[in-house]
Amino acid sequence: MRVVGDFYAYLWPGVTMAEMQEYGNNSNTYLVANALPGNKHVLVDPGMVTNETKRNCLDRLVAGIQSDGLKIEDTGLIINTHAHPDHYGASEEIKRQSGAQVAISAGDDDFLKLMSGEMAEAIKQMGFDMPELNPDFYLSEGELRLGQDLVATIILTPGHSAGHIGVYWPDAKVFMGGDLIFSGSTGRVDIPGGSAQMLKESIERVALLDIEYIFTGHQYGSPGIIQGRDEVQRNFDIIRRSIFPYL
Amino acid sequence: MSGDGDKIKSALDIAMEKADRLGALSEGEKQRLKEEELEAAGEALAKRYLGGLPLGDVEAEVAGRDEEHRATIIRHLLAGLADTIDITQDGGSDRTLAAIEHFSGDREAVQGIRALFGEYLAAADGASHGNLDAMAEGKRKELESKGISGSAVKPATETSPEWLRVKEGLEAEYQDRLAAIKARWASGSP
Repeated sequence: MRVVGDFYAYLWPGVTMAEMQEYGNNSNTYLVANALPGNKHVLVDPGMVTNETKRNCLDRLVAGIQSDGLKIEDTGLIINTHAHPDHYGASEEIKRQSGAQVAISAGDDDFLKLMSGEMAEAIKQMGFDMPELNPDFYLSEGELRLGQDLVATIILTPGHSAGHIGVYWPDAKVFMGGDLIFSGSTGRVDIPGGSAQMLKESIERVALLDIEYIFTGHQYGSPGIIQGRDEVQRNFDIIRRSIFPYL
Repeated sequence: MSGDGDKIKSALDIAMEKADRLGALSEGEKQRLKEEELEAAGEALAKRYLGGLPLGDVEAEVAGRDEEHRATIIRHLLAGLADTIDITQDGGSDRTLAAIEHFSGDREAVQGIRALFGEYLAAADGASHGNLDAMAEGKRKELESKGISGSAVKPATETSPEWLRVKEGLEAEYQDRLAAIKARWASGSP
């Protein structure tokens, strides 16, 4: 689904309880079309290959991209906002199909290494898989230049995970926030690497940006895209008032 | 519990049976069993020492064994201690090396291990500076050719297959050299 300009959204169903129950968990995926030479696309948070309900999330993403006249094979870069499997899980498979470069923050790659081996086995016993991720490069806070004239700002937004990043596109005023902030709520802070204080600070930093669209990581009972300056500010206000006191 | 028909065997019965069986063993088989027993004793001593048993107590336990068996126990004790030395980690703790020097009397080899570890660190440092910098530069160029650049981009060289190959080669070389030093004690003639 095209949202604005070359920005596309592939939202995982979950706005209603019935959808959440039927579809299970997976992240929203965002695509910036033709951002790289050779009309290659940038994909942010590809989601999982399959999720806990045995749904093929990647097939659904591929079909969604296709319905917009684009192809997953034309992915040139995959950016992972953080190292949770529901966000990065399909990275290696899409890399295999497209030859895309894969990126994540160094902090969250360290977390992934920590979670490998025996820890991964323990997590698997609990019903979760930790798919492989072999990043080609790390993203730190700073400028990400794509092609000739597209610029994104990578912002370190720890809180949901220690090395969580957000991607801000100043020209389009789009902020892709992973699991930092949702419509009316925030990401969890009770997963290893999480921190309530850091999450609050990250949200306050992002609130200073000039944002028209927040592309969130999930539709947990609310729409995945927060649109319009006033709506974005209202969302920050609600979170400060209703969520921060309980974090 | 061990049964033979209606009769329940006592510990003495079992010991007597074992003794009978040993009586039927050839001299070579008896020697092999003894060697296995001494090997287990030496390895157990190494483990207990690494777990905190004082060096003096280890020495006292060795001294308490038959004189003819002491050299074999020490050989296995040394092997057990040497097995814990990893040249890519710390080159052996001071405690481990002190015990090896004490029981082998092979000061030269212990100094050799310390020197080898220092040499490994220097080689790893040199390889990482030379290779990682070059790999980072190569990766940066590759990314630029794909239209990806900027201050946020940090090539992931330490996890790259190229660097892992270099690192594995270096580690294998130094582990081989360490194994050659360890072999001096395994033969029992340092």
